[in-house]
Amino acid sequence: MSLLLVILIQASFYALLGMGYVLIYRATRVLNLAHGDLMVFGAFLFFQTLVITGGNLPVSVVAGLAGAAVMGVLIYFGVMRPLAGYPVAVGVLATIALGIVLRSITTFIWSGQTRYPGEYLGPLGKPFELMAGLSISSIDVGIIVAAIIAMAGFPILLQRASIGVEMRGVAENALLAAQRGINIHSINALSWAAATLMATVAGIFFALKVRLGPDIWYVGLAGFAPALIGGMDSLKGITIGALIVAAAEVLASRYIAPQVAMAAPFLVLLVALWIRPWGIFGSREELERI
Amino acid sequence: MSLFTTLPSTLRTSYRHDMQLLDSGFVRFWAAAGLLGVVVLPLLLTNFWTGIANQAFIAIIGALALNLLMGTTGQISLGHAGFIAAGAFTAAALVTHFEAPLIVCLIAATIIGAILGVLVGLPALRLKGLYLAVSTLAAYFVIVVGLGQYQAAISYGAGFTMPPAGILGLTIESERTWFYVLLPIVLGVVLLNVNWLRSAYGRAWMAIHHRDISAESLGINAAAYKLLAFSASTALTCFSGALWAYHTGFVSVEAFDFHMLIQYLAMVIIGGLGSILGCILGAIFVVVLPHLISYATEAVPFLQGMGSQVFELQIGLFGVIMLAFLILEPRGLAGIWARVRFYFQLWPFKYRSWES
Repeated sequence: MSLLLVILIQASFYALLGMGYVLIYRATRVLNLAHGDLMVFGAFLFFQTLVITGGNLPVSVVAGLAGAAVMGVLIYFGVMRPLAGYPVAVGVLATIALGIVLRSITTFIWSGQTRYPGEYLGPLGKPFELMAGLSISSIDVGIIVAAIIAMAGFPILLQRASIGVEMRGVAENALLAAQRGINIHSINALSWAAATLMATVAGIFFALKVRLGPDIWYVGLAGFAPALIGGMDSLKGITIGALIVAAAEVLASRYIAPQVAMAAPFLVLLVALWIRPWGIFGSREELERI
Repeated sequence: MSLFTTLPSTLRTSYRHDMQLLDSGFVRFWAAAGLLGVVVLPLLLTNFWTGIANQAFIAIIGALALNLLMGTTGQISLGHAGFIAAGAFTAAALVTHFEAPLIVCLIAATIIGAILGVLVGLPALRLKGLYLAVSTLAAYFVIVVGLGQYQAAISYGAGFTMPPAGILGLTIESERTWFYVLLPIVLGVVLLNVNWLRSAYGRAWMAIHHRDISAESLGINAAAYKLLAFSASTALTCFSGALWAYHTGFVSVEAFDFHMLIQYLAMVIIGGLGSILGCILGAIFVVVLPHLISYATEAVPFLQGMGSQVFELQIGLFGVIMLAFLILEPRGLAGIWARVRFYFQLWPFKYRSWES
């Protein structure tokens, strides 16, 4: 039972992460390998505000999210827009380069040392008993709730809100969307902002739950596994992808070795790519066999 | 289509002449002069810089292997550091368990690499572009974690110390000896790559790069050639990994981190994807740059005493340079070189009307 809970928490975390990958991929067809570093950057912004305000949680969260969104817009206009129209590989390589630039900036500003923002939580951070023998911390509840809100909220946004409809239009056919008067660059920038925002949400949760340091980018990078398994352009696929990856990771960590758990998401991904490259709910038109 | 050709195709009058690598007296003279310059280089350099030159040699082999895959065949690979690790660990394992000599380790690493390349290349038959990139990245993590487990089991996590390399009865101890051992190897690998590119293999790979469906319809077995490209590239990579293990003298999985992956990507991107000259320039650039930066930082008072942070800045600088090349000069250093050469070839004119 507690194992299931751990898997659920981990899956929620992966869903939050995978969301960022899917948002950017849908809009701009770029796999953003800088996602982990964006996550660390946003989490550090949050932490810095936390230190300055002496532990004011709401203000820090807002500051972290706002800073991340601005960062996302800057990255789109500074790096990704000049590269529009290049082969897919160039976009991926650019995000790798972007990632190490971000990582180096983060380490330069905040140094490589590990922080524990969870200390600022006080009594909030203590786990409480859900039922007999099953306890959960408020952070974990937060992760699950955030994941549910995101998983339910984004589809509604995309279906109902006019901005969501514009986003879908750009994702479907950018040229046509532009012809119909949609400003595709602002929509793409918005997608980047939303994705970095999601990265920061995940980053803040991870920082509060475990630790914060430049080395946790690795955790964020693992998020592309659920996104790919679910299907890169499908939001609902992430839920399943996240559950599969989280289950594999938690079970490997419990029954084999913690080090193996680090590779588990990628091992699952390799198998998934081999069996069903376009993902569980992804659209398969892009993949052609030869 | 060769490395040093200067004559336009209209001036080459026979097949033999067309296939000559050094096709004019001018080129022959400067190639000889360049080779002589490289041969006397260790006599001019300090021991430290000779060591860096050796690192550059090994990096050139690795970069050429990566370029074969990414530049020539157009199959993006993000698993390069993992393959280097595989080569280095093959050597380390053979030395630890069987006390195998250098030659055996190099051959074994190459064979293991060829097999590994087929395994990693298999998804490439189904996957393209992004998905292939991701599967190689996933393979990288799996390889590194697997080797980490092996290292923890055999050496209790400490890593493997390599014995001094021995070849033909003599032991390679000093950096200077290494230089003269590596130089012919690198020349051989460069020649191998040049010849690959101008043979049927190279043409098939380039056809697949441009459009695999049309390559297939021209009678090229795209699947077989893709696997061959993966296999050849990974074999060469593992070969360089085994050399790396011997030259460094110590193998531990920590060395093959994401940073090494990025360094090799930086080499081929900064050098210019698809260009052999570019790989050589890029590898030298990436190996030498950190040392130049540390010299520069010693000169700037503001940056003194910030050791680890300067290291971080270096990595960041790689990222900035990579981005700059991707956005501003996608053809890399090789492209800059071609432009400069073109300018001087035509001077005092700006354009020529024959042969683009």
